[in-house]
This record gives sequence, C-alpha cells and structure tokens, in this order.
Amino acid sequence: MIKITDLEKIYRTEEVETIALNKLSLEVKEGEFVAIMGPSGCGKSTLLNILGLLDDSDSGSFIFNGVEVSHFNERKRADMRKHNIGFVFQSFNLIDELTVYENVELPLIYTGVKSAERKEMVEKVLDKMKIMHRRNHYPQQLSGGQQQRVAVARAVVNNPKLILADEPTGNLDSANGGEVMELLTDLNEQGTTIIMVTHSEHDAKFSHRIIRMLDGQTVTENILI
Amino acid sequence: MIKNYFIIAWRNLRKNKTFSLINIAGLSIGLACSMLILLYVKDEVSFDRFHKNVNNIYRIVTRSKNRGIEYKDSNTGLLQGPRFAKNVPGIETFVRIQSGTEDIKKGTDIQSQDLLRVDPGFFSVFTFPLLNGNAVTCLAEPNSIVISEDFAKKQFGTTDAIGKIVMLKDNNEFVPFKVTAVAKRYPQNSSVQFDVLLPFKESEADAQNGDNWYSYFLNTFVVLNSKASIETVEKQMQNFYLRDASEAFKQMIAKYGGGAEATMGTYLLQPFTDMHMNTELPAQNGLVNASNPMYSYILSGIAFFILLIACINFVNLTVARSLKRSKEIGIRKVIGSNRKQLIIQFLGESFLLCLIAFSLSLLIVQLILPVFNDLANKALSFSYLFDAKLIAGYLVLFLLTALLAGFYPALVLSGYKPVETLYNRFNLASKNYLQKSLVVLQFALASFLIIATFTIYRQFNFLTKTNLGYDDSNIVEVNKWQMSHSEAAYFKAELLKNPNIVDVASKNGGRWMTGAKLYNDSTISFNYETIDESYIPLLKIPLVEGRNFSQAYPSDSTNSILVNESFVKKAGWKSPIGETVNFFYNNNEIYKVVGVVKDYHYLALNQKIGPQLFTMKNANLYGTFNIKIKPGTETESLKFIQKTFRQYFPLSPYSYIFKDDQRIKDYESEAKWKQIIFFGAILTIFISCIGLFGLSVLSAEKRTKEIGIRKVLGASVNSVVTTLSRDFLKLVLIALVAAIPLAWMAANKWLQNYPYRITLDWWLFAVAGLLVIIVALATVITQAVRAAVANPVKSLRTE
Repeated sequence: MIKITDLEKIYRTEEVETIALNKLSLEVKEGEFVAIMGPSGCGKSTLLNILGLLDDSDSGSFIFNGVEVSHFNERKRADMRKHNIGFVFQSFNLIDELTVYENVELPLIYTGVKSAERKEMVEKVLDKMKIMHRRNHYPQQLSGGQQQRVAVARAVVNNPKLILADEPTGNLDSANGGEVMELLTDLNEQGTTIIMVTHSEHDAKFSHRIIRMLDGQTVTENILI
Repeated sequence: MIKNYFIIAWRNLRKNKTFSLINIAGLSIGLACSMLILLYVKDEVSFDRFHKNVNNIYRIVTRSKNRGIEYKDSNTGLLQGPRFAKNVPGIETFVRIQSGTEDIKKGTDIQSQDLLRVDPGFFSVFTFPLLNGNAVTCLAEPNSIVISEDFAKKQFGTTDAIGKIVMLKDNNEFVPFKVTAVAKRYPQNSSVQFDVLLPFKESEADAQNGDNWYSYFLNTFVVLNSKASIETVEKQMQNFYLRDASEAFKQMIAKYGGGAEATMGTYLLQPFTDMHMNTELPAQNGLVNASNPMYSYILSGIAFFILLIACINFVNLTVARSLKRSKEIGIRKVIGSNRKQLIIQFLGESFLLCLIAFSLSLLIVQLILPVFNDLANKALSFSYLFDAKLIAGYLVLFLLTALLAGFYPALVLSGYKPVETLYNRFNLASKNYLQKSLVVLQFALASFLIIATFTIYRQFNFLTKTNLGYDDSNIVEVNKWQMSHSEAAYFKAELLKNPNIVDVASKNGGRWMTGAKLYNDSTISFNYETIDESYIPLLKIPLVEGRNFSQAYPSDSTNSILVNESFVKKAGWKSPIGETVNFFYNNNEIYKVVGVVKDYHYLALNQKIGPQLFTMKNANLYGTFNIKIKPGTETESLKFIQKTFRQYFPLSPYSYIFKDDQRIKDYESEAKWKQIIFFGAILTIFISCIGLFGLSVLSAEKRTKEIGIRKVLGASVNSVVTTLSRDFLKLVLIALVAAIPLAWMAANKWLQNYPYRITLDWWLFAVAGLLVIIVALATVITQAVRAAVANPVKSLRTE
C-alpha cells in the first residue's frame, strides 16, 4: 500500500539546518498494523505527517496505493487525504464549537456525502464506538477516553484505507488507553491499515511490526506477527 | 455544508462575546453613518428631479466681462423670458419667479409673509400638484392668490379654501386677494418652495422698456422643445439679444460707464437640476436650499473613515485571534477541507456578523435621523430608506463591507499549514506588520479628525466672539420697512421716554450695494447705508477723522457722507475730509465726505470688510430700528417696544432680534459643521479604541507565558504594564507623526475660506496628540494591569 524510497526532509532556519528524515525507506502492506517508535526528535512525527500527506518531502519517492504522491500540490494532497486517510492525534483535536455528532459528521461533509446518508453513517460509527448516548454533547463535556473515541469515530467514518495514529493513548490513563488500542485492533482486523507512532512498548505490542527510528533513519524492525 | 458554516459562525460569535460586540458595535456605527450619508447624497442629487418636464427646463443665466473681471449672474430682468420665448424657436414657454415679502392681515394680526410672484404658466412648467383649483387659470387674474395646504390650514383652519379672501398689503393698503387654488406641500428636495403665489406684476411700459434688459432681480426659466439642441437655442438667444438690446446697451454704458472692454455679455442656459449644487450659479433670490457639493464630499469622507476604521478593527481582531482558531483550521484541513471551503467558511462568518451589524444599523439610523436632519439641514424621513435605488445601494454597502472586512482574514486563516498549527509550530509574528499598520492608520484617521474638530471649534469661537469693532450688546433690532425720517423721529422720541431705553438709531433695511464715480472718473462699489446721527455713537464705532452726522448741519440731511477706512484706501485719498463722490446714476448728485469711521465688521466674519459709505439723506427711507436697552431689563423693555410699535405702526408686522443673537445666526452653517465633525471625531476615536482594547486583550493573552516568566524573575507590576503598553504607544506616536502634517495642510486650506481666521498654533496639535495618547493608553492599560497582577503560577501551569 505504501512504499517510501530514500525520503529526505530537512528543516531550515536562518542559522540551523535539521535533517528530520535521512534517506529513509519503508514499505507497509495493506492490512498491516505498524508501530513506529524512537526517541524524541528522531523524525517519527515528520514521517507520519508525510505519510498522511500533511507535509511534503524534499526528495525521495512516496507511492501510495500505486500512485506517486511525492510531487503532489496541496490541493491534490488534500483530495487524496480526505478520501483515503483517517487521523487520530494524541490531543484528540476535536473542534470545541461542534457537538460529538457534528465532529464525526465533518469528514463526510467535506467528501460531499448527502445528508441522509451522512446521518446513517455517523450513527453507525457512533454506535460502534459506544458514544451514541453523548452525540449532542460538546468535547469539553467528555472525558479523555470519550474524546479519543470520538476522534477515532471521526477518523473511520469515511471508511479510509489507512489510519495514522500519533500517540493515541498519550493523554489517557491505562484503562482508557487500553480501550482505544482495542478499537484500533478491531479496525485493523476488519482490514484497515494502521500506522501508529508511540512511545509505549505496551501499545506497540498490539501491532504486527515495530519499526524503530533514530536520527531520521530506521534502525531496527521487529516483526511480531 | 452551509448549515454547518452557519452553526459554527453563530457559535463562534456567542463564544467570543467581547470581540463579537466590538466588531458589531464598530460595523453598525460605520454602516449607520454610511447609510445616513447615502441618504443625504441621494437627496442632494435628486433635488428638483420630480418635475415631469425637468429635462427640458433651463434657467437663463449670463456671463459678462467688465474691466477685466468676469461675472456670472443667475438673475435676469423683466424682458428676457417673454422676448426669448417669442423670438427663439426652440423655446416653448417661460416662467419668471420674483421673490418678495408682503404683509398679510388676519383680523387685527399682521404678519410678514414671504411669497413668490410668478407667471400664469407656473404650474404647466413645474410639477406642483394642486389639492383644488385649476392649474391653468389659477394665476390668470391680477387679484388671485394660490396658497399651500400648510398656509390654508394656518389661515383658514382647512384646505377647503377656494374663494376665500386673504388681505394682502399692496401699495400701502390692504387689498383682498381671492384664493383660486390650494397646492399640495412642496417636496422637501425642491429649490422652489412656496406658501403663497401671486401673479406676476408687469406694466406695458415696463414690458416695452429696453432698459429692462439690464435689471437683474428675478429668475427666468424656459422650457425647451424636447428635440431642440441647447447649443442652437443658446446661439439663437444670443443673436436675438445682440440685435434687440444693442441700443439699450449703448445707453447704459453712456450713463454708467463700463470700461474699454465692457461687453454685452452672453446668454446661456443652465439646466434646472444644476442649480442646487452649483456654487457659481446657485439657487437664490427666492429659490432656496442652495447647497455645495463640498458638503457631500466631506460627509462621505467622514462616513468612509468611520466604516474603514470599523473594517480595520474586524481585520485586526480576526487575524489576531487566529492563533486561537489555528488548531481548528489545522483539524479541518486534516480531515479534508480545502482552502476554498475554508475561505467560504470565514467569509460566511464575516457576512453573519455584518448582517447583525447591518440590522442594528437600520435601528440606529431610525433613532438618530432627527438629529442628523437638524445637523445637515434636511427633512429626511425613515420612509426615504425604502427607495429601490437606495435599498440596492445599502445591499451593495453591506456586501462590500462584509467582503472588505472578511476577505483578508479569510485569506490569511485559510492559508495556515496544518502541520504547523497542530504541532504548535505556529507563529503569527510575521503577520504583525499589517496589523500594526492598520492600527497606525486607525489612529492617524482619528487624530486627523480630532485636529479638524479643534480647528473648527477655535475658528467658530473666533467668529462668534471676536471684537467686531463695534458694540452689539443689549441692542434690539426691530424692522419697519419704508419708514420716513420724521416717522422714525417720532417713534424714537416715544421710546426714549422709557428709562430702560438708552438710545435709538435708525438705518435702512436690508443690505444695499451701489457704486459712484470718484474725482478721476474711476468708479467705486461700496456698501451703502442710510443712517441717523445716533447710529455711529450707539454702536460705538470709532471715528478716525472728521465728525459724525449732526442735525446742526443742514447739509448732513442732503449731501454729507461718512466713509470707512477701506473706502478711503480704495479711493486712494490722502486727505479724505472734503473729498467728493458722484452718484452718477442719480442725476450726478455730488456728496462730500465729512467724517471717516474705523473699519468694523458690518458683515459676517466670513466676508472681508469692503468700502462703506453712510448718508443721512432725507429722501432715503429707513427700514430698521436699533434700540439700545439697559442690561437686565429685557422683558420689560421688549414689552414696551412692542406696545409702542403697535401703537405707531398698527398696519405693520412686528418682529425683533437681539443684534448679538443675529451674529450667532450668521454662523449657523459653521455651528452645524462643528457638530458634525465633532461627532465624526468621537465615533472614530471610539471605534479605534474598542479595536485597540480588543488587540490589547489578545496581546495580553498571547504573552501570558512571557508575563509569568517575567514575574517569576522579579518584574514589578509597573514594569510589566510598561512592557505591554509600550508597543501600542509606539504605534499611536507613529500615527500622530503621520497625521499632524496632513491635518495641518487640510486645516490651513479650510481656513483660507475665511478672510479673518485663527492661526494654527503648535499647541493645538500638541493638545490633540496628547488627547489621543491619553485615550489610547487608558484603553490598553486596564488589560495590561489585569495581566500584570495575574498569578504567574497559573499562567505557567497552563503552558
């Protein structure tokens, strides 16, 4: 599904040049659950952003579902992203002015789904995430675990091929964190490819493969399943 | 999608009440001002356009040259209308309008009434609907009178007044005039306004007298054939005039002189709708409401300033708040929004806010319309707003404001990169130049208006308080037209029996201008006053040479004159006493100077002192009494004067005015402009300050961590307040540096309209600058103090 070859990303300021990704190569098959680990500053968030078409690389190749996307402009990246990729963030990143229902509905609005169909899809996914009873609440009225479930619901409502999770349990206690990991595992078992960045060895064990990074390169790869 | 945008826009407005209120307040004030000005300008340009024939109605005007000076005149004599109508093919009909004032008697009460004498074709040329009466015949008979519905109600208590009698003074006796028509009230945007119309009076002798080509005392209007070309008609008029008036012209030059280059002048046609705002050929002499396009420009400028400042607030506050919305923008982009969708979303929020402001502005307009009418000398009503063109104008105003205010923030906010906003790498610093420039622009505009206000205030005070060179205190002016010297003397003697009356002096009524020849055959124009011997001492006008008039000198009642210093200077006299002037138009009567008075401001201070000549000639009639009363005796004195006046002049209307009040009346226009500019300045500074308030709140929030750290390291409250306020103060100082030179230039240019004016002292600008700084500081300091006293632990914990 994903093939990255010699990817490079350099951050430049007036005085400093930081190599975030140093000719990194990586492949992820469809249906895989991959965990990416490494110390702070190793480039894992940068990698995730590029995989999620939120950022572009300076050089190298990135093939997503058979399409070379490394030279896509912002408009094309946004288009590819909204139809194929869902995101789950450490700090949930829900919109405070929208209710749970409206937050989850938002990706469907952007992909032009009609109103009646949207209702059906949102209710189905809220039900699945066991958060239907809070549909009219605002994010600030929910617990951390509930907010992350809403975030996961939003990420999957469009049935994306790929979910990118950046420290999804980072702001949660162990019980809630465990629930979120189980949700992600279920999704993966239903065929969704998941790439997760994490500091947690415990969470990494839910994956099929752990890739460890250091200084912008992969250093080890552990296959668990 | 639209519903989602609306929901989030509404919820954002409610969540951020302070900023929403600031934006709504500013925009609604700006929109209300713009709406009022649109109403004003529409009224100005719509003047006189209600007449059906309006595109074919023209006023006859002249352009001539004498002694190198070009003259334009909108007045004509008796002959032009009928002779051009008869002899110029393109002219279908004409009507003359002559203004006048006559006394009207109702029972024992006599009132002075302004009226117009017009030709019988008046109602076929102009569209003034009648409530009753025949428009064609109502002015055919010499003793017919047409009245307005307001006059009918006042005179008879009803508009059903056909056949009723109005007693009008004609040749010193009251004569019955029969009401032949009652007209509906004239529209307020009409240069022709009347309560009473009389048929035009013209004898056969006058109609044949060629001299009447050169009398200028009425307005003449012609209606052209719709197919006629103006240039052709003007040419035909001119050709006819040159033939018909050539003899009369030669006689006039022989009698009055005219210099080598005196020409017969050129007749031209001025479109009827041009009169209202034409300052060279205005609506005057019986026509009213002459205006000046400068008023529209100034008011439009003020409204534009205010709306611009409100939009600047919106832009500044929205961009400054974008830090808080950056995360939302990042999330939306991550989950699939493209830039266009975000622009539409933010524009939608701007439109919603503008819609609320627009609705509020309609309410504001309705509330302040009476005040605006008073200031702008208009009679606009709220129903005027429901005009198709005006509604379209307002819709355009609303759309433009929403776009102007919302487009830049929409563009900026939609451009944020999700990677930067979601991972807190977002930095607004690079956007600050625009924000700072906009704050500078706001305060520069506010400073400009404040300086303009100060200038106008000082000039107005100068006009109303400056020493006029004579004493106008405790003087009551009472008019009595066509008064002989003996009548005046009797009345004066009776008044002086009352110990509260200090003195009484008589003068001609109104203002006379005329000319005379000097020793070297040159002519001099001057202000011509007929006075008695009490006039100069009563007004305490200093004599610089010679003596005042006196009954002890019989020649003072025939051919003695006094002149003012300007007259002496213009005449080039070294020893004026004994010099003579020749009233060549009056059988070459020779008058001798017996005294010279110091120049004094006999006209309003917006006009220069010119040559002035006084006579006590018996044959000239008086028109005004100047009655000096003892201070503190106003009530009793006025009662006594009125009683005595009615006793001596039972057939004349009585009215009075205090001379120093008349002075204030002379500057009504300046007083109104003073208030308009003042309100403009207040609104501008208010909107700028609420914008600055919003920015200071955001600035304090943005620097929460920095303030916390500073306090932990030992900074005092004063030092934190200074740190937070300093940036804004710098911007205000830059604004002042930019505004002061421009304000100086504008104030200086405006003051050139006044021959007597204030000087622009440095302290005027210093005070204005200090005021702006104090107001700005007061605005930001509350937020700065609040941030400075906050607990640093809380702010650092948040970070």
